[in-house]
Amino acid sequence: MSAAAISDRGAFVLLQVGNRRFALPSGNVVELAPPVRLHEFPHESKFVAGVIVRRGRIVPVYDVAPLLTGRSSSLHRFYLIAWLALATGREASAIPVTGECELASAEVFERNPDDPSYFAGRLALDDGPIDILNFESIVATGSGKAPAEEARS
Amino acid sequence: MKIASQDKAKTRRGRHSEQVILFSAGARTFAIAADAVQEIRSTDSLAGAAIEMEQADVPKVRHLIERSRRTYFVVNGCAHFGLRLTRPTLVLILRQIRVAVLVDSIERMVEIGAVHNLPKAFEGAEKHWYRGLAYLDDCVIPVINPAGFLTKEEFARLDLVAKSAEVEHQLEGAIEA
Repeated sequence: MSAAAISDRGAFVLLQVGNRRFALPSGNVVELAPPVRLHEFPHESKFVAGVIVRRGRIVPVYDVAPLLTGRSSSLHRFYLIAWLALATGREASAIPVTGECELASAEVFERNPDDPSYFAGRLALDDGPIDILNFESIVATGSGKAPAEEARS
Repeated sequence: MKIASQDKAKTRRGRHSEQVILFSAGARTFAIAADAVQEIRSTDSLAGAAIEMEQADVPKVRHLIERSRRTYFVVNGCAHFGLRLTRPTLVLILRQIRVAVLVDSIERMVEIGAVHNLPKAFEGAEKHWYRGLAYLDDCVIPVINPAGFLTKEEFARLDLVAKSAEVEHQLEGAIEA
């Protein structure tokens, strides 16, 4: 790997969206929820698919697959719930994930300059590098608050 | 990673419970506080009393009705929520606000234990449409904010159009007489 390592081994949750794997800092992750019912109702917030109910709380679900993989993914088995920092405060928010998630620890490298800004870096795993997601930046891009950048194929 | 078991939203009955009317518009279910609704009428029963408004500024409003010397603007519920237009059969005439809402049907009246805040993720017009969300019978149902149907600016524009529509209506009535 040509990029310089920017931190020592950090703890990450590896998640699968569509046919791609990504990493999210484990400190941001709340839980992996089963495929509970997605509740939909009329709204104008693009990028929000609906809500799920977890532990008595209503959790918004972001449809991240089109942005991250370039296509919609109707197949998902779980919801990964993570903390999302918004201008109005922190909120537990869900991402539909297709496969099971696992914990991993590895060195973190800088993202490539031409990578979308919603990638915070790359995780050097034995079976290849994995993009680390910046949840806040994904939501900003997906909801049109940040300039859209073309996702890598 | 441990997967948590499925669970349901905790409802807090008692202190904050309120009666709501569940209604449908465009195959979606909504809740509105029962005390926000003054009257529920069939569209047929109001057909003769509705005055058509020719205006394009607020396309979800096509008619007005006069009730107790007040002008109520008739908002199409489907158009308001961006849903596929249906043929509404009922009109909810609101109590505090000069709005009547066209809806498809009334499902039932029910007591809800709590209204959850709309998640911060929702940043569009729905922040004005809804007071929050209710969890009822394993369904999340948006609870309507009655003041969210029309803005002050929309009321002002509609009031201007209403004056000329009412005058025209009166003239037509005089000519027919």
